Amino acid sequence: MKKLLALALALIMVFALAAPSAFADDAVEITLWTYPIGQWGTQEVVDELIAGFEAANPGIKVEVQYLAYADGDDKVNTALEGGNAPDLIMEGPERLVANWGAKGYMVDLADMWDDTDKAEIFESLQDSCTNADGKVFEYPVCMIAHCMAVNVTRFEEAGVADVLDRENHTWTTEGFIKAVNALSETNPNVAAIYCSGQGGDQGTRVLINNLYGGTFTNPEHTAYTANSPENIKALQLLVDLPGINFDPAINGGEEIQLFRQGILDMAFCWNLIQQTNTDNNDAGRTNDGDEIEFMAFPAEDGNAKLGLGIWGFGIFDNGDAAKIDAAKTFIKYFADGEGTPGAIKASGFSPARSMAEGQDLTQLFADDPITTEYMKLLPMGGDYYQVVPGWAEARTAWWNMLQQIGEGADIQAAADEFVAVANAAAGA
Amino acid sequence: MGKSTGMSRALVRRETIAGYLFLLPSLFFFVTFVVYPMFMCIFTSFFDSNMGKNAVDTFIGFGNYKELLQDKVFLGALKNTLIIVVVSVPTVCAFSLWVASAITDMKPALTSAFRVIFYLPVVTGSVAVTVVWKWMYNNYYGIFNYLFKSAGIIEKNINWLGDAKYALWCIILILFTTSVGQPIVLYVSALGNVDHSLVEAAEVDGATRTQVFWKIKWAQIMPTTLYILIITTINSFQCFALIQLLTSGGPNHSTDTIMYYIYYTAFKLYRYGYGNAMGVVLMIIIAVLSAIQFKLGQTSD
Repeated sequence: MKKLLALALALIMVFALAAPSAFADDAVEITLWTYPIGQWGTQEVVDELIAGFEAANPGIKVEVQYLAYADGDDKVNTALEGGNAPDLIMEGPERLVANWGAKGYMVDLADMWDDTDKAEIFESLQDSCTNADGKVFEYPVCMIAHCMAVNVTRFEEAGVADVLDRENHTWTTEGFIKAVNALSETNPNVAAIYCSGQGGDQGTRVLINNLYGGTFTNPEHTAYTANSPENIKALQLLVDLPGINFDPAINGGEEIQLFRQGILDMAFCWNLIQQTNTDNNDAGRTNDGDEIEFMAFPAEDGNAKLGLGIWGFGIFDNGDAAKIDAAKTFIKYFADGEGTPGAIKASGFSPARSMAEGQDLTQLFADDPITTEYMKLLPMGGDYYQVVPGWAEARTAWWNMLQQIGEGADIQAAADEFVAVANAAAGA
Repeated sequence: MGKSTGMSRALVRRETIAGYLFLLPSLFFFVTFVVYPMFMCIFTSFFDSNMGKNAVDTFIGFGNYKELLQDKVFLGALKNTLIIVVVSVPTVCAFSLWVASAITDMKPALTSAFRVIFYLPVVTGSVAVTVVWKWMYNNYYGIFNYLFKSAGIIEKNINWLGDAKYALWCIILILFTTSVGQPIVLYVSALGNVDHSLVEAAEVDGATRTQVFWKIKWAQIMPTTLYILIITTINSFQCFALIQLLTSGGPNHSTDTIMYYIYYTAFKLYRYGYGNAMGVVLMIIIAVLSAIQFKLGQTSD
């Protein structure tokens, strides 16, 4: 009896092992790993999007895994080294082009862009998604111009609301200085140059570049220019202004919290997602109900150049042509097809192209006044320099430089050291 | 007799084989996850090994080790790590022994309650611990600034984790609270196992409490002390999670530790060979210090 039972159990186990292959359909299974880009990090939303794709493409099954920015890169790198990389990844060119693409892990997607696509996808985005050899490692889906935010109520109380051009969301460096001086009379923490780590670090770079017209790299993205006289002047201004504190203990996310709590009067890490956030109050309000206005960064002539955020899909070259084809079908569906409007709306950002297979994407948010108003910032999009080789090291050197300056180091010396480290990383 | 010996040998052989078979699973995991990675770490440290699909590892001999000696960030991280070890190990041991001595003679329920209180930070996840400490250290609304300002000790807020003067000491304080739990439990147990007949004999002979402690108890808990010294040293050398979650090595590299710098080099800069060379140096330092502690412990014993 026992032998019979053992035999039956063994047969069940063998059958169970064999079952998946015996009953498997012909569907190609691909995996997508996505960073939390808007609601692309929310399972219910993504499940719905994937269900739509699978219904339209019955021969492809998609398994999704969700990454966090805190440890997502480590997971992907470990998977790459272990030969278990996903088929698809959703993130921006700084990872897909400058990192994994440069290291030879990504599939060239150039064949997915015909003349119509090239006419529809915004040109600066095409450049950002393409490496120096003309290989396309990212198919962009959505984009945003990062900006800053001010507490309008505090500005009004300090009598400096007039420095803000709220119609165009612009202001000048002179207005910024006047506002900070006035606000600092009642608040010692007007704003923070946060520099603990990479979260939201684009804000500090763009602020410093815009104040006196500096740039972060040269136009060819081959050398860093953060030690230029314009940038040094901007850094000196921030050191000298009362109420502006270099804070190595917080990152961009924590700065946003402090701004929402009313501790800071300005936030340098802001975008549409923040402006429409309703976690603790209505959209566009601090936790205490003060009015928040999103603004371009201050510039001498008021014409700021904002940092762009670009997100899209890339394919890891796992050597399986069927999976690569399936992954391309996936990208076509969400980046230039039936699923594009849903993919963009899930991100909460702006479309990366004007049309997608005959669908006009420019009116996607016509019924959303905040997003429509935010679109005014898009023409201010500046240079996307995050594709410089060795970006990870340069990025770390940037916040180390801010930490040094905050501790009283010589500004020119600290900036020179940053440029030396960053250029070495870039191979310049 | 001869037949009996033969059977006995067969029995011994069977028992030996059975013993090794029982060891096999542990041995497999030990070799796979400890010995092999250790060997690969040493091996890779002699190569310029980077991430990349077509990247080729180049043998550079002691090149990575030479670079380490000139790397200011590594030397700074080594200094910070040594400060953590030198401060943390004696204070953890002394404090644990003091607490254990104080609570071991209390009522059993009270002793257990104290053991639970001191052990709580050990069983609480690192992330939860750091979130609470980060809140307490907060520059804008942290409880330390509130208390110190209320007490008139400081005039304006201190950015505890954002000021190079304080950041490392803040890390050491957190490490201290998460490190004392296990030594206290071990010391309470060791003090409970001290031979009471010796203590009573010493007391009959007129020994004071201090003499009883140092002459009788201290000698008997020496193996526990040795174990605590070694695990606290290793834990202090491997301080990583607190740094990663609280300061990322900042401000201005003031809280970089070797473990964090290894992580940064290997997983952010993808320089595997260089990161492994640091790992080997760390391994050697820990091994040498542990050996010295063993030797001193045995001598004292």
